[in-house]
Amino acid sequence: MTALQGNNRDFGVVTNMIGDQVVLTVNGDIDLTSAPRLAAALDDAIGRGHRSVAIDLAALGFMGIAGLRLIAGATARLAASGGELVIHTAPTHVRRMLDITGLGARVRLEDGHPCATRPGPDAAGSVSVLQDTDAASPVDAESPIDTVSRADAVSRADTVSRADAVSRADAASRADTRSRIAALSAGDDVVDGIVRLVVTLARATVGGADGVSVSLRRHGRLATVAASDQTISDMDAHQYATGEGPCVDASRTGTWFHTASLADEHRWPAFSPLARTLGINAILSAPLVAHDQPVGSLNIYSRATGAFAVADQELAMAFAHQASLVLTDVGVGLPDDQLSRRLTDALRTREVIAQAVGVVMERQGVGEEEAYTNLRRTSQRTSRPLRAHAQEIVSSIRRPLPDPPRPEPVIGRHG
Amino acid sequence: MDSSAGTTLDRARVDAGLSHSELFLRYFELGGMSSALELEAFCYGAIHPTAHDYDVVAHALNERFSELGRNHPVAYSD
Repeated sequence: MTALQGNNRDFGVVTNMIGDQVVLTVNGDIDLTSAPRLAAALDDAIGRGHRSVAIDLAALGFMGIAGLRLIAGATARLAASGGELVIHTAPTHVRRMLDITGLGARVRLEDGHPCATRPGPDAAGSVSVLQDTDAASPVDAESPIDTVSRADAVSRADTVSRADAVSRADAASRADTRSRIAALSAGDDVVDGIVRLVVTLARATVGGADGVSVSLRRHGRLATVAASDQTISDMDAHQYATGEGPCVDASRTGTWFHTASLADEHRWPAFSPLARTLGINAILSAPLVAHDQPVGSLNIYSRATGAFAVADQELAMAFAHQASLVLTDVGVGLPDDQLSRRLTDALRTREVIAQAVGVVMERQGVGEEEAYTNLRRTSQRTSRPLRAHAQEIVSSIRRPLPDPPRPEPVIGRHG
Repeated sequence: MDSSAGTTLDRARVDAGLSHSELFLRYFELGGMSSALELEAFCYGAIHPTAHDYDVVAHALNERFSELGRNHPVAYSD
C-alpha cells in the first residue's frame, strides 16, 4: 500500500464520482512537489478506464509548468481512449497557459462547478467518493507473478513451465504497459506548445530580451519551432541556410554562446553583419539537450550592446535546462526506431528476469519478492547487471535439443 | 523508510544524469510494476513505494552508476 504524503502541506486532491464523470477537486498550488499527487489521482482515474475526467480548479492557488505537463499527458491519454478532459473554473493564468500551448483547444473548459454543469439527475445526489487509490495499485492487483506463487513443490521440468507462466502472464499486461510508455513520447503539437510557453516566459522574464526563439532539429534539419516575432524567425532561418551563427553552433555542439557586442564578434562573418542591420547587438544561445544529445537551442536577442547581465545569463541557462528536461521527458531526441528498439529490449530483459525469478523460486523454495531480492543481491555483490545474471540462470535450465534420429543401420541389401 | 527516501532517489536520479522517462524504462526493464507517473511521485516523495519497489528503483539507479564507473551509492531498504 502506498501513502500519500506531499511536501506541499496545503495541497489536496479529492476524487468524487458525479454520474459517470470522475471529478478531481484541487485545493492549493500545483507545483513540483504537489504535482505527483495530482498525477497519481489522474493516473488512477484514467487507469480505471474512466473516459470522462474533470479537474475542478476553483480552489487553485497557482499552477506551474508541472501542472501543465499533467494536463497535456492526461489529455493525450484520454483522447487515445476516446475520452476527454474537462477543466472547471480555470483561473486566468491557467487559461493563458492553455492558450499559449494550444492545449486549450484540446480540453473542454467549463466556467461553473462540476455539480452545476452536469445535467440531469447526476447533478444532485449521486456524488460518491472513490476508494483510496491504492486499491487499484498494480502491485496489489492480481499481478502476473501472483499466478505462479501458489505452486510449492514442483519438479525441475515444471520450473520451466512456471517460468513460462510468468512470461505468458507478463505478456498479457504488455498492451497496457506499452500504452503507458508510449504516452512518454509526445507528438509535435505538445512539444510545440511547451516550446511556445518557454519562449513567452523567457521573453517576459530575461532582462534585455527583445526577441526570443527556440530552434529544434526535426527530420535532421534545424527549424524554428517558436519565435517572438518574424524578424527573429528570419534571423534563425538565415543561420540555418548559411550554416553559421550562434543558434546553429549551440544546437550542433551543445555549448553555450554569449556575444555581448556583435560589433566585436568575428566567429560568424555572414551572420553578425545581418543581425546588426536588423538592429540586434547582443545574443545568448543556450543549447537544449535531450537524451544526452543537443537537439536545439534557446536563442535570446537584444538591441542593446551588453544587455545581458550575469543574472540574466543564469536565468536563460535555467530556462534552457528546464526546457531540456521537459523535452527529454516527452521523447524529443529519440528517433522512432530507436525508441521502439529501446522498448523491445526493455521488454525482453524484463521477461528474462521474470523467468529467472521463477527458477529461483523453485530452486530455493522462496516467494517471488525474496527470489528477486536474492537475484538483485547477487548482481550487487558481483557488480554484474541483473539482466546478465538472470540470463545465465535461464540458460542453465534450458535442456539441450535431443539428437536427431539416426537412420537405421543397413544390415543387408537384398537385390 | 523515512520521508526523505523520495528526495534521495531524485537526487540520485539527477546525479546519474537520467531523465524521469529513462529511469522509468530502466525500472520497468528490471521488473518494476508501477507506472511512470507513480515512479515520478516516488522520486519526489509524494508517494511512498513498497520496500520491494524502492529496491527496484535503487538497483536501476545503481546499475546506471556502475556504467559510469562508480560504486553502488544508493542504499537498499535492507
